[in-house]
Amino acid sequence: MNDLIIQQIANGIIIGFAYAMASVGLTMIFGVLRAINFAHGEYFMCGAFASWAVIHYFQLPYIISIPVSIIISAGIAVIISRIVMEPLVDAPFSTAVLATLGVYLILQNTTRLLFGGTYKFFSGGWLEMLTIMGVTIIEQRMVLIIITVAIFLFLEWMIRRTRIGKAMRAVAQNHEACIIVGINIELVTRFTFCLGVLLAALAGVLMSPIIVTIYPTMGEGMTFKAFAITVIGGMGNVRGTFLSAIFIGIVECFVAGFLGLQFREAVGFVALIIVLMWRPYGLFTLKGRF
Amino acid sequence: MRKFLIKIIIRLIVLVLIFSLASYIHVGMNKAEAQTEDIIRVGLPVPETGGASRWGTFCLRGALLAEQQINNTGGVLGKKIKIIKSDSQGIPDEAVSAAQRMIHRDKVHLFIAAMNSSETKALQPIVEEAKIPMVAAASSDPEITYRAGVGGFKWTFRNYPTEEIRTLVLLEYTIKEKGFSKFSMLAVDNDFGRSAVTFTQKYLPRFPNARFASFNFFSLKEVDFRPVLSKIKAAGSEVICLYTNTTETMQVMGRQMRELGLAGKVRIMGLGDITHPENIKALQEVLEGAIEVTLWQLQWDHPRSRQFVEDYNKMFSEAPNVLAYSYWETTHLVAQAIKNAKSLKNEDIYKALKAIKYESVMGTIYFDDHNQSNMPMVLLEVVNGKPVIKGTFWSRPDYPTKTKQ
Repeated sequence: MNDLIIQQIANGIIIGFAYAMASVGLTMIFGVLRAINFAHGEYFMCGAFASWAVIHYFQLPYIISIPVSIIISAGIAVIISRIVMEPLVDAPFSTAVLATLGVYLILQNTTRLLFGGTYKFFSGGWLEMLTIMGVTIIEQRMVLIIITVAIFLFLEWMIRRTRIGKAMRAVAQNHEACIIVGINIELVTRFTFCLGVLLAALAGVLMSPIIVTIYPTMGEGMTFKAFAITVIGGMGNVRGTFLSAIFIGIVECFVAGFLGLQFREAVGFVALIIVLMWRPYGLFTLKGRF
Repeated sequence: MRKFLIKIIIRLIVLVLIFSLASYIHVGMNKAEAQTEDIIRVGLPVPETGGASRWGTFCLRGALLAEQQINNTGGVLGKKIKIIKSDSQGIPDEAVSAAQRMIHRDKVHLFIAAMNSSETKALQPIVEEAKIPMVAAASSDPEITYRAGVGGFKWTFRNYPTEEIRTLVLLEYTIKEKGFSKFSMLAVDNDFGRSAVTFTQKYLPRFPNARFASFNFFSLKEVDFRPVLSKIKAAGSEVICLYTNTTETMQVMGRQMRELGLAGKVRIMGLGDITHPENIKALQEVLEGAIEVTLWQLQWDHPRSRQFVEDYNKMFSEAPNVLAYSYWETTHLVAQAIKNAKSLKNEDIYKALKAIKYESVMGTIYFDDHNQSNMPMVLLEVVNGKPVIKGTFWSRPDYPTKTKQ
C-alpha cells in the first residue's frame, strides 16, 4: 500500500507539472488584462496542431517543430491581441467573456476545417524510458518538467527584476496610474497576452507526445482545468498557479486510483467550489487584489 | 389606433402567406425530387466529429466503398444507391435529429445505424413510428436486440454481435484455456463499456477461481491512465480486460503500461482495435499475447474479404478495421434485400430482410425472431507480433423471458 501511495504521489507531481505549464499563461493574462481568456485551451490546441502539421506534412523532426509551432502561435497571438484583446482593456467583464468565447469558437472551427474533426496520431517526441528514484517515465515527461521549472524561474525573475515585469505588475495594479507615469498599457497588454499564448502553445507541443492523439476539441477540457487551477492558486499569482497545479495533480491521481478514473475530472471543480466558498482570492494569495 | 391595428393584422397575414407559400414550394420540390430521381437512399447517421469520430469515419468509409461497388455493377433494380450521411457526433439527441431530417427531408428508404448503442436505442422508436427498416451495423448493447423483432421494435434489425456473447467467449478462453485467474477491468464510460462490465459480472460466477481486483471506467478523452495502471500493478492482476471505442485508448494506455513496467507482464484482452496491425507495430511488447474477439479480421482468407481490403486501401490509403467491414457488408446485405424484395416499399424491404439468407465473407447470415443476425465471430491472439486466429464460433444471445421497451 505504501508503494502505491508513493507511486500515486509521483504520478500526481508528474501530471501537475503539465497542468502548471498549461495554466500559467491564463493567470498572467488575467493578472494584467483582468480578462478570463476562455480561448486559452485553444492556443494549447493550436500549438499541438502546428507541431503535428510540421511533422506530418513537411516530414521535419519533432525538435524542429517546437520553434516552428511557437512562431506560428506567436503570429496568431499578435493578430488576436491587436483585434480582440487590446480593445478589451478597461472594457466590462462581460465583453471580455463574450469576445474570448468568440475567439474560442473561431480557432476550434478553423482547425476543424483545416485538418478535419478526427483524432490525429502524434508521432513525434522523445519516448525512451528513464528511471529516476524508482519512478519510470518517458523522456518527454522529463523534458516537460525541466522546461516547466525553467519557465517558472524565468517568469519569477522577469516579473521581479526586469522593466517589463515591473510594468506588468503596475498595469495589474492600477491602469490610471500607469498612464500618468507613462507606461504604455497597450504594449504591456500585447506582450503579456502573447507570452500567455506562447506558454499555452508550448504546453500543447510538449504534451502532445504524452497524450499521443490530438483533436480540435482537445482545448476545451484544458481551459476549464486551467481556470480551476488559476482560481485555486489565486488569479494573477504565478507561484500560486504552480503550487495549485501540483496539488490538483496529486489529488486527481488519488481520486482516480482509489475511487475511480471516471471521477477524476470532478476534482478540479469540487476544489474550485470549496476554495471560492472559503478563500475566494485563492489558497496561495494573502489577500484579494481586485 | 384602429387604422394602426388593421395595418398590423394585414402585415401579419401577408407574412404568414409568404412563409406558407415558401414551405409549400420547398416540400413540393423535395417530393418532386424524391419521385423523379432513380435513387435508393440509405440514411447513415455517424459520428464525424467528437470522441468517436475516428471510428465513425471507418463506418462511413465502409458504406461508401459498398455504395461505389454496387453502383459500378449497375445498382439495384436499375437504380443507384446513395448514402445520405449526417454527423451524429456520437450523441443520441443529435442522432435523432439527423434521423428526423433524413426521414422527412431526404425521404430515405432505410437506415444503417448507429455506431453507438445509445444512439441506436434512441433511434429505435423513431424508425418504428416512421415504419422504416433500420439495420444496426455496429452497436453491441444486447438491449437493442432484446427490444427488437418480437421484443417490440419490429423495424429494427442488427447485423453485429452482442456484448454478452463476446464477454463470455473471452472469459472462457482466458480462464480455461490460458489459465489466468486475476483480472482488472477498464471500460469506456458509455453504454458499450458499461454493458461489457454488466455481462462480465453476469458470467463471472461460472468461473469460481477467477477474481476481478477492480472495475474501472474512463472517459473517451482520458489521456492519463497512470493512476489506475498503478493500482492494477499493485493488485497483481494478470490480465486487463479493456473495452474501448477508440484505437487511441490502446495507444495512450500502451505507452503508459510501458512506463510503469507492465509491458509483457500483464496481458490485454477485450475489444478496441487491440489486434489492429498499427497498434501491434507500435506496442509489440505490450500487446504480445493480447486476445480479442471480433466479427472479422484483416487477414481473413476469403476472396471477397481480400478484395474488400485491397479496394478500401486503394480508396482511402489506409487499412480497414472491423467497423468498416461491418458497414461495408451490411450495405451489401441491404442491397441484396432490396433486390430480393423487387420493390422500394418499406414493408417489402422489411419482409425481404426477415427472409434473407446472405452469403457474407464469414458465412451465411440470417435474422432470428429478434431480428438479430447469427454472427460468426473470430477469436484472435497476438503471437510473435501477429494476430493469429484461435477459433471461430457462432453466437446466439441469451434472451430474457420478458423483454422490455
